[in-house]
Amino acid sequence: MINRATSRPSIRRLWRTRQSRRLILQAILGSVAFLILLYFIVQASDLDLGLGFLRGPAGFGLANEWALSHSSTESRIDAYLIGVWNTVRLITLAIALATVLGVVAGVARLSTNWIVNRLGLVYVETVRNTPLLVQIIFWWVAVFLAMPAVSARRTLLDLVWFTNRGLAIPWPRATNDFAAIWAGSLVLALAVALWIRHRRIVREDATGDITHANRWALATFVGIGAATFLATGLPYRIVTPEILVSGVNIQQIRGGLLVTPQFAAVLIALTTYTGAFIAEIVRGSIQALPRGQSEAAQALGFSAYQRMTLIILPQALRIMIPALTNQYLNLTKNSSLAIVVGYSELFFVGIIIVNNAGHAVPMFALIILTYQAMSLLISVGMNYLNRRVRLGTV
Amino acid sequence: MTTAVRPIDARPWSVKTRRWMHENLFSSTANTVLTVVSVVVLGWAVVGLLRFVLVSADWSVIETNRRLLALGRFPTGEEWRVWPALYAVLGFGALAFGSWLTISRVGLVVLVAVLAFLFGFLFEGQNALLLAGALLIAAAAYLGAVRTRDRSIARRVRLSALIGLALVVPLMVVMLQVGDGVRTSAWGGIFLNLMLASVGISLGFPLGVGMALGRASSLPVVSWVCTAYIELVRAAPLVAWLFMARFVLPDFLPPIAGLDRVDIITRAIIVLACFTGAYVAEIVRSGLQSVPRGQVEAGEALGLNVVQITTLIVMPQALRAVIPALVSQFISLWKDTTLVFALGLTDFLGAGEATLAQTDFIGRDMEVFAFIALGFWAIAFSMSRLSQRIERGLGVGVR
Repeated sequence: MINRATSRPSIRRLWRTRQSRRLILQAILGSVAFLILLYFIVQASDLDLGLGFLRGPAGFGLANEWALSHSSTESRIDAYLIGVWNTVRLITLAIALATVLGVVAGVARLSTNWIVNRLGLVYVETVRNTPLLVQIIFWWVAVFLAMPAVSARRTLLDLVWFTNRGLAIPWPRATNDFAAIWAGSLVLALAVALWIRHRRIVREDATGDITHANRWALATFVGIGAATFLATGLPYRIVTPEILVSGVNIQQIRGGLLVTPQFAAVLIALTTYTGAFIAEIVRGSIQALPRGQSEAAQALGFSAYQRMTLIILPQALRIMIPALTNQYLNLTKNSSLAIVVGYSELFFVGIIIVNNAGHAVPMFALIILTYQAMSLLISVGMNYLNRRVRLGTV
Repeated sequence: MTTAVRPIDARPWSVKTRRWMHENLFSSTANTVLTVVSVVVLGWAVVGLLRFVLVSADWSVIETNRRLLALGRFPTGEEWRVWPALYAVLGFGALAFGSWLTISRVGLVVLVAVLAFLFGFLFEGQNALLLAGALLIAAAAYLGAVRTRDRSIARRVRLSALIGLALVVPLMVVMLQVGDGVRTSAWGGIFLNLMLASVGISLGFPLGVGMALGRASSLPVVSWVCTAYIELVRAAPLVAWLFMARFVLPDFLPPIAGLDRVDIITRAIIVLACFTGAYVAEIVRSGLQSVPRGQVEAGEALGLNVVQITTLIVMPQALRAVIPALVSQFISLWKDTTLVFALGLTDFLGAGEATLAQTDFIGRDMEVFAFIALGFWAIAFSMSRLSQRIERGLGVGVR
């Protein structure tokens, strides 16, 4: 009795001082979190957490390859890396296309032209409010798989073929051993062009003379590219799709580039879906600018196109970059939905490996790390852009 | 600022139309080209759509499979469990809708048409009558709420509508348990999506608020734990977490009360709630940061304790500032519920795929996907419109 009477007030006193209350709360929550973590560790200690299984032979082949290929005798880690490569090329293309589409649609939403404005609205509100998964499957099943067979193909001037095997488009093919050298010289040409552009911009800023930096850079790039193309003996030729008949009534597409239905479906769905969100960001950023900017440009006699590209969009870019970064990160994570159509991106390959070989915990950890690495790269790139845009103008 | 009084335009309508067309469609050469191109695109799309809907489409695939699309493999004869919650949702939802905002007449017609189209396909016979009853009650609630002019009554109506809506999910869960009950594994169709979304929100929202408070806390340990949780969840795509729930979670759940044997739908609900929680946490955190420091100090000066300051001063302002972001998070949760299809479940999309496997309906992809897309769209679009209205009503961003 006495004990209780003395101890209760002392606990209460302990609770009353802020310092000790903070300590108690943190100790409780910390130990709960620690216990949960400990529980997971104990549970996981029964499992083999090593990544050694990734060196084993994959035992499965992959479709949808481009530039890099994989056979079933190679290791699982090779298969996974092909998956990463497939994700990277998918999201790079999708980010570029979605940005263009989003800017066009966002500007259209602000157009004074009533029909253009409404078209933009219908696009944004339809696509944004429908699940991406439904859109991916729609494009895959209802559009690309519903295309005619190779023998009954529909073509665009016989250059682009629409078939249920995919889209066949003209594509360059290397004709001699200098192809790689020429491709390398393009990188060099780009570097030289950017250097010249930089020099001219510096001079323009210093003297105020118009130096046409962009035109000079473009001319340099095209000039060097064309010269080395001739010098290396025309290393590339554009090849159009053609038919290869193998066996009885089996027609295959050869030549050109065959874009598989899976890749095309996922690319279009990701592009249009993210584009709708980007359109709203672009619209919001432009609306956030003071009206005076547009009016001043008008007063200075800028055309509508100049007003948009020289005055409005560069300023709106500053506002939209954080939101844009978010959309790019979403797109990266959304690319994992390609699993439902069997496009062999990293998540799809990861799930196949889990199905075949088990080791789910380390495999999922690897998948999360891969996505996190890609997100980090995008964030770093966009932050760099953000800093550049800020320094450049104000 | 003075608003200019608009002079009454007495010109004949033909002149006005011509003037409008000149200003909005043909103001310059470039604009004229744009208009012509858009009209061609629009005309092509509209003609194609009309031809599809009215001529080439065969909607019997939807009519035959309405039960599958609505409820999946829900046991026959157990539908009565769903009705009370549906009545409550429609009734309280309409009440809330009507007491907060007035919808334009065109918007109302579109909404009713879409709902009638959807439910007209999903319900038949006796169920259609029951649904008609629910819709009548909803219409009455909406009209009643719109007509209420008295502000104190309106406030009470709003409060009761919110409480009613909050109680729908528990009501539904209880209704599914009474008697022999329906196991979660039997849920399907659009009903499964609705359940995943509503339970996901009801569990994810409090979790998110807690996590946001924890992350913003001045206690380092609390803040670390919450930050770690939020960042971990946001690191991976939702599909990855769902697949982890399938492959990994059973190994980690403790064998207490059959927790290690919970079916995949329950696990999906857990994942959706945890996932939504992390994203809600980030949204609420940005709201917390928007509340000026002086508000907290004023609360301290008044002698309020931490809990009172948080619940009475900080939270109401923080949440108010982020309502649009929260609604768009809930819209994305609603769209994400269909990811359980990737796990092989018969949700709305999965049910649609199942109908396409029936020999009678092979090749009816367009009809099925159009219907599924419309179903998701109708709910997501109403939510986004609701958020825009609330945003305008609250004057968020307007000082």
